[in-house]
Amino acid sequence: MENTQKTDVIVTEEITKVYDPDRIPIFALNGINLTIQSGELTAIVGPSGSGKTTFLNIISGLDTPTEGKVWLAGKVLSEMSGNELSDYRRDNIGFIFQAYNLIPVLTVRENVEYIMLLAGVPKTERHKRVTAMLESVGLAGVEDRLPTKLSGGQQQRVAIARAMVSEPSIVLADEPTANLDSKTGSDLLEMMRKLNSDTGMTFIFSTHDPMVMESAKRLITLRDGKIDSDETK
Amino acid sequence: MILKIAFRNIFRQKRRTILTALAMIVGFMLSSVFIGWSDGIYSNIIDMFTRNRIGHIQVHQEGYLDRPSLYKNITVYESIGNTIQNNEGVEAWTPRLYAAGLGSVGEKSTAVRVVGIDLMREQNATKFSQKVIEGRPFQDIALNEAVIGNGLKKILKAEIGSDLVIFSQAADGSIANDLYKIVGITDSGDDITDRTTCYLNLSAAQELFVLEGRIHELVVIVSDINHVGRVTSSIKDTLRGLTLEVLPWQEVAKSFYNAMQADKQGDSIGRFVIILIVAMGVLNTVLMSVLERTREYGLLRAVGTKPIQIFGLVLCEVVIIAFASIVIGAAIGTTINYLLSVYGIEFIDGFTFGGMKFDKLHAEVNIRTLIIPTFTVMLSALLVSLYPAIKAARILPAKAMRTR
Repeated sequence: MENTQKTDVIVTEEITKVYDPDRIPIFALNGINLTIQSGELTAIVGPSGSGKTTFLNIISGLDTPTEGKVWLAGKVLSEMSGNELSDYRRDNIGFIFQAYNLIPVLTVRENVEYIMLLAGVPKTERHKRVTAMLESVGLAGVEDRLPTKLSGGQQQRVAIARAMVSEPSIVLADEPTANLDSKTGSDLLEMMRKLNSDTGMTFIFSTHDPMVMESAKRLITLRDGKIDSDETK
Repeated sequence: MILKIAFRNIFRQKRRTILTALAMIVGFMLSSVFIGWSDGIYSNIIDMFTRNRIGHIQVHQEGYLDRPSLYKNITVYESIGNTIQNNEGVEAWTPRLYAAGLGSVGEKSTAVRVVGIDLMREQNATKFSQKVIEGRPFQDIALNEAVIGNGLKKILKAEIGSDLVIFSQAADGSIANDLYKIVGITDSGDDITDRTTCYLNLSAAQELFVLEGRIHELVVIVSDINHVGRVTSSIKDTLRGLTLEVLPWQEVAKSFYNAMQADKQGDSIGRFVIILIVAMGVLNTVLMSVLERTREYGLLRAVGTKPIQIFGLVLCEVVIIAFASIVIGAAIGTTINYLLSVYGIEFIDGFTFGGMKFDKLHAEVNIRTLIIPTFTVMLSALLVSLYPAIKAARILPAKAMRTR
């Protein structure tokens, strides 16, 4: 069932990010104004160094802008404390990183379960959700393996399962298909599309992958830290 | 889950964990053996000092200790002694009479301190006969035999069998002088005492100084030196109403006690060195571990772990290693202390401390050898881990995750 009630989940105002401002300033983002509504499936595209990852980091509170403001579900990120940001990310945002970023000492099941454990989800509920999620990403049977015993594709699927198991309102994915074969990548996109249409979950990807661009409903192109184009299909 | 991550992280870098643990184990062991050994030495010294010289508790006529006088004496001491003996923790008591005089052997004369002792009781309390290194103690019934200190023997150029003339003033104002046969020479381990002391049978001394039935000091030996305070209070209670002063050895020999306490303070320097050893080892490895795992901490923060939980994670790892190290360190440290307490360390030529000679010293196994090192290791490990833990907790997720 599609969620028809659209709200602004992310609003950015003149976001600028300058690396090394005291020596040779590099403008990773330069005055980005953007509004993303709930239920969108947005792809941020652009060449390497255009600011895609920096943009995702800033709108999720993982990084701070040099200038400008970010509103996340009506709250100004820069006004939130470290703990508030942690809670917000835990409860509302699912991350899929390009480099998987799994916790190496935890098994597949524990990695997926971790965020729900932080959120205080009861054990039986956690177990049920993790089992279902691992099954849906094709990882049934490897629950007790450590990440080091998995292939790159399997690790990425664990990362996807971890991002989505707690049913966040926003999923941020940095090159989610970069390390997957085309079949797995296509399955993953299909799953995300389904979740987007069924639950109204907001997806924001940064990508080079034409398949991801094809799936997105909105395509934002960044170039030299600025919005080059913003198309809605 | 944080505890689980901490526990598993410990086994990720086994070599580093072993290094950290080794610093803590060595620190604990050193601290434990250091305390066991120094406590043992203090106990040896205090035991020798109290048993050889002053006893654990002394009873005098009021004001005697401040201004000793022939006239400040105790009567009915036998009955007082028996009352004291009934107190729990009292091992023995012995009466002593003190007087000053001039001692002469042939043409040599010197000031002597006459100590009248009840041989049987003194033997029970201070093992008097063990101090006699030449000749024998005087006979219990003999009145005109004397035992003198080794130093006094040299000053007077006396030998066993020499005649010793003691010249003084008696309590009734008459001249007190008599001739005694030297039958024994003592080495109490206290040079000062041995240069001046001349022991007489108590009844002989009482007769010489016209103090029949009187003494100046009642020395009490307790079965456990750590209970001196309690036994002193108990004796005070039983002697209430009499004009007697009951003092523990700490008050009788204030300067010795203060010197011991001051010496004990010196232990803190040793403890500081041990803390440094632990701290350097732990800081180095924990800091390295935090730096290496910067990316992971960034990830944990990104997915919603709070700064305080990251802080707890780093400290948790240190606490787990510290706990295991303390158990191992305690086992090794206690074994060493136990062996040192049983076999001790022998000194070929002996050594002198505070006028007392020691040939062998023993360590001690007590609760301090466990508690102080536990706190020392745990606190120093936690203290130096604070900086890396804060550093990890304050990581900016995006920056940390860019780390390779």
